Amino acid sequence: MIIEISNLHKSFKDVKAVDDLSFCVKEGELFAFLGVNGAGKSTTINILSGILPKDSGSVIVCGENIDKQADEVKLRLGIVFQASVLDKRLSAYDNLKSRAALYGISGEKFKKRLGELDKLLGLNDILKRPLCKLSGGQRRRIDIARALVHDPELLILDEPTTGLDPQTRAVVWRVIEELRKSQGLTVFLTTHYMEEAANADYVVILDAGKKVAEGTPHELKSLYAADIVRLYSHLEEAEDLFRSLGYSVCRERGYVDVEIKGTRTATQLITEHSELFDDYEVMKGNMDSVFLRVTGKDVREV
Amino acid sequence: MKEFHKLWALTLRNMKCYFKDKFLFFVSLITPMILLVLFVTFLRTVYIDSFNGIFAMFGFEAEEKIVNGLAGSWLLSSVMSVCAVTVAICSNAVMIQDKIDGVVNDLRTSPVKGTTLSLSYFIANFLVTLIVMLSVLIVGFVYLAIVGWYIPFKNVMMILVDTLCCVLFGTLFAGVIESFISTQGALSAVSTLVSSLYGFICGAYMPLSQFASGVRNVICVLPGTYSVGIMRNHFMSGYVEELGRLGLPYEGQQALLDGFDGNIYIGETQMPLWSMYVILLGTCALLLAAYISIVILQNKRHAKNKIKS
Repeated sequence: MIIEISNLHKSFKDVKAVDDLSFCVKEGELFAFLGVNGAGKSTTINILSGILPKDSGSVIVCGENIDKQADEVKLRLGIVFQASVLDKRLSAYDNLKSRAALYGISGEKFKKRLGELDKLLGLNDILKRPLCKLSGGQRRRIDIARALVHDPELLILDEPTTGLDPQTRAVVWRVIEELRKSQGLTVFLTTHYMEEAANADYVVILDAGKKVAEGTPHELKSLYAADIVRLYSHLEEAEDLFRSLGYSVCRERGYVDVEIKGTRTATQLITEHSELFDDYEVMKGNMDSVFLRVTGKDVREV
Repeated sequence: MKEFHKLWALTLRNMKCYFKDKFLFFVSLITPMILLVLFVTFLRTVYIDSFNGIFAMFGFEAEEKIVNGLAGSWLLSSVMSVCAVTVAICSNAVMIQDKIDGVVNDLRTSPVKGTTLSLSYFIANFLVTLIVMLSVLIVGFVYLAIVGWYIPFKNVMMILVDTLCCVLFGTLFAGVIESFISTQGALSAVSTLVSSLYGFICGAYMPLSQFASGVRNVICVLPGTYSVGIMRNHFMSGYVEELGRLGLPYEGQQALLDGFDGNIYIGETQMPLWSMYVILLGTCALLLAAYISIVILQNKRHAKNKIKS
């Protein structure tokens, strides 16, 4: 395990930001940490990276106890913060150079690493420009380069794609995938985009500082998300029939959605009432539904 | 050795941040220049009249050049001693801005000791303030060379030493005060307060002799007064010696020094120059101890919580 968190507690006065949180992250996996704003995600990340002290509990990162070997841990993890925390007036090059020096990387060693990062992230055109003159996507690339400058084993990404255009989001994900494949990098991700979480190897959902669900996306969808059968014909009859059979039915203009637990049930319904199924589709439950069901909150509305 | 490299990298980074913030750099540099111009424009004639008043009491008439130079050197010593503090407070804004922007969190995720980080802000602020103050000094020397230069070489060297002492005092003062600041509003409030008050309470804007004796004694307790005192001594003494050579009697020279803070008194006792250095550097030592204690306590508070579990 690259991260082992047990019974973690952190309060800010009367507010319990993290409440008895325990979970593990396996080496090399893409781990998604979900929760609405204020759920305790960033607090947990700040504790993991040694910025914030915890109240109690145990945090082991890369086999090292964060309390005793904080510097060892810091050498082995890189973090991309929610908002860019680099020096806006300095050039991208100066930013990377000054941060690399803090890990003992300078001179030829820095040039070599910068070359690798340039190859990975395409930095050459923006290296000499001040950060405040870069677009959001370009700045994000520099943030990622900074997090990777010391070649960490664990990359923490705190909502890395929030506010980015789809093209830049795709670039960020391409880089993450490339790093995972080529270097076996472990990625710890928090995100508001459920489609990103759906690609994770393992997911933990947090609500009000507590863990409310965990598992692979498939496990979570099976447990918490229902399939939807959408019918585009015989709307009235379908609505009456499925309501009478006790299904949750939602009629909209032009279609009727019937919530069904499991694909097997859907197949059964289609076979038994084939006269209603002239035009239809079956949609698998997604991570949005999981999140909604588990927390009672829509992630896009908070 | 590794920690030293990190310290140097952080110091360079802090200085770059300061110089790249053109507004911050401009304000730091322009404030002493504006003060100098305002002094020369509005107060020069007032001090020239006062000097001539003292000369007249001793039946002495001085050349215009030496009087102009004396007024200029008095005003420049005021600017140098006040601005060493106000510029240090202004240029330490990099540290506050790092807290506001969250940059300090990024720095803390790297394997750098909290004490190294704090020390890097201090060293960067010292160097930046020194660069600004030396620039002001060069401008001031050019002005004095034009209106009347009577500062011997050894005094020029001592003025450089005084500048170092004043910058050290200003940087430590700023470091201690600003350790507790983490918002832009608080920084503005402190800058405004110090800029408006400091010049008066250290006797830089007005000669101490013009204050009531009670106020004067209170001001003499404050260490900033002695940063002004050492500057006054080395800026003015060359002019006073020249006046003596031209015929101003010893009593006249002393009246000039007493009236314009070349001599500082606590009660009836005249403070020797060395004692001013002792007080100023002693205060620097106390401020350094306070700064180190604050840094250690702040780091311990952070670490203590981490070990609680």
